[in-house]
Amino acid sequence: MAHPKGKWAEAEIRRDDIKNLMEKTKTLATMYSDLLAIKREGWENVLKAQLKKDAREKEKQNG
Amino acid sequence: MAEFQALQTATAEWKPHQIAKAGDIATMARAAGDLAEVVKESLSLASAGMEVVKVLAQLQNINPLLIALDALADEVLIAIQAIKEAGFWYLYVDPYFIRNVSPDPAFTYGFEQLRNPAGERLWLEESPRGDMVQTTTTPTQVQLDTQKVIPHLATPRKLIAGGYNPYKGKGVEDPLQKISPYAKFTVKQVIQTFTDAFDDEGDIPRYRRVGGAPKEGVVVYDKDGNNYSGWDPVKEFGLQLYNIGKENVDGSIIKDYKAARKPVNTKIAPGKPNILGQTTYAGGSGAIAIIIAAPSFDIFAETFDKFSKMFTDIPEFAATTGKGLLESLNEVITPANTVIKLTMVDSNYGLFEAGDVIGGQIYGGLSKILEVNADSVVVSTMTTQKEVTATDDAGNILRYVTTINPNEDERWVDMEVIGKPYRSVDGLNPFITGDTVYEMEQRGTRTDNTPNYVVRGQDTVGLPPPARVYPKVGKVSMEKLAVLPDSTPPDFGGIQIKEIIPGWGEFFQTLENFVLQLKGMISDSAAFIQDMIDMIKGIEKFLEDLIAAIVDFLEFFQITLPSTGVYALYLPNQSGGNEGIKSQLSEAGGIPELGYAAGILFVATEGDVLIAGGGSKNPIDLLALVLGLL
Repeated sequence: MAHPKGKWAEAEIRRDDIKNLMEKTKTLATMYSDLLAIKREGWENVLKAQLKKDAREKEKQNG
Repeated sequence: MAEFQALQTATAEWKPHQIAKAGDIATMARAAGDLAEVVKESLSLASAGMEVVKVLAQLQNINPLLIALDALADEVLIAIQAIKEAGFWYLYVDPYFIRNVSPDPAFTYGFEQLRNPAGERLWLEESPRGDMVQTTTTPTQVQLDTQKVIPHLATPRKLIAGGYNPYKGKGVEDPLQKISPYAKFTVKQVIQTFTDAFDDEGDIPRYRRVGGAPKEGVVVYDKDGNNYSGWDPVKEFGLQLYNIGKENVDGSIIKDYKAARKPVNTKIAPGKPNILGQTTYAGGSGAIAIIIAAPSFDIFAETFDKFSKMFTDIPEFAATTGKGLLESLNEVITPANTVIKLTMVDSNYGLFEAGDVIGGQIYGGLSKILEVNADSVVVSTMTTQKEVTATDDAGNILRYVTTINPNEDERWVDMEVIGKPYRSVDGLNPFITGDTVYEMEQRGTRTDNTPNYVVRGQDTVGLPPPARVYPKVGKVSMEKLAVLPDSTPPDFGGIQIKEIIPGWGEFFQTLENFVLQLKGMISDSAAFIQDMIDMIKGIEKFLEDLIAAIVDFLEFFQITLPSTGVYALYLPNQSGGNEGIKSQLSEAGGIPELGYAAGILFVATEGDVLIAGGGSKNPIDLLALVLGLL
């Protein structure tokens, strides 16, 4: 129920601005998290590939 | 009593406010957008250096996420655009924490009057036989004036807060019905302070010159380009002024005077609500008043504390002010326990024990004994000297001084007690060394249902000795603080926006550093890649913590303020200016008159552009929306 205008009434004060803001920040943080997870996975694969490549080359050198 | 003296402070003042620090959010959202750009850029650089990498496709997967991130940043930017310019004036009225208004002590001093065990006052009424008979019937003013009835005062006479007041009309009323250990500031007084603040003639906006301001007499301009003469850099003015701006080199008319001009003064005080410095404007204005009020101080303190946590972006409630609000109010409600060392406790009348209430005779300290330190109960060391005369066989009189122990029968003892101090009506009184301490008993209650204590048996002082009741007695040897009081639940675990806001800064700073490092990275060294992975793991952990903190924070904000004790008045945009708000404020009904109150009043004036989703030109409607009043 809307608060009556021009009359004092007991009210459940909320801070929707702060709530919205925190929700948005949370979404931003979550998205960066996802982004970083993908990136980390990518780098891990790069690393794996690199190590594999190094091992292969070493093997080749050793004959 | 010291507390009441401390309440003589400055008056409540108008201050500017913006919803949830819109400026900070703007910076945050922009940072998010910029960051997305940098990530994109670094990604392409990294990709360029990693042509041979098989996982390129996986790295490219980030692109849709980046696009979404960009979109989110834009969304935040748009959302804050509406509230960015939404400025308010706020007036904070707080008699208890900041103390910018003075609450009433609400008591007068008078002679202590005897009361029966039920707390009723005792009177002496002239009987038909001419003697005085004790009664509890409250006399009329005429009976008091003609001395047909007189108050039965305590012997010896003692001046106390809330005692019998002989002044006309004051003696009939029982002061206990009015006095309370907490100073009062009522709902009516808060509303009065709100309306009075509009009449403060000195509270106007003030602007002072900036460096490079023009010389005296130069024509200056207001925001809309209207010209003003009488400029004097030494004086303060009531509105923002600008110079004429740069001259055009080709002599043509300046198309955008707003871009060309420079301010010649800067705001040093916001003043009361105004439009372009005019406080008696007739334009649109609206207000939201919130009052926290309760019939008892402890409920008020709890509600006020929750309210303050909701508004930590208002400087008065900021956590950085040192002692927290509840802590400060708790100190009033539950002062720290004290250790009181007593000496010469007369065992003839009994020793003090846990549960006894003791009171200082002269200085008015009042405390409930929680614990008696058993090891501390020792016989008082008392020595005195007396002259002894002896006559020898020859008749010579010998005089000599000898030391004796008057406490040989161990009648008087020393003891140390831990006491919980009680507030008297005139504040929290200490136990002063040397004061006589008596056992107290309850005689009636004050408002707030707090007990009223008197010296035990004081109403039997005039009776024959066998009928007298003697209180336990001792003397104060020392008082010291025992332990700090425990906080009163509920405690919100210190979740405050102030603690979260720095998190935002760190969040973006960390990410920025990360992407900057990423940008500089064109290397295929395995060690470097491992460093990268470790760094990402670190940031992932940081983000996890941040999200957890936000979840906690949001949980706190799920708890809306209890409607009990919080009263709001919404005055939507109206055309009567400050006067209109003032009259609506004083005329609005629907709020009970409660004894303990504090409040905040937000006022906003109508602007030129539509805000709050396009429905209004007054930011007050946006604030009403945000606070859940619409």
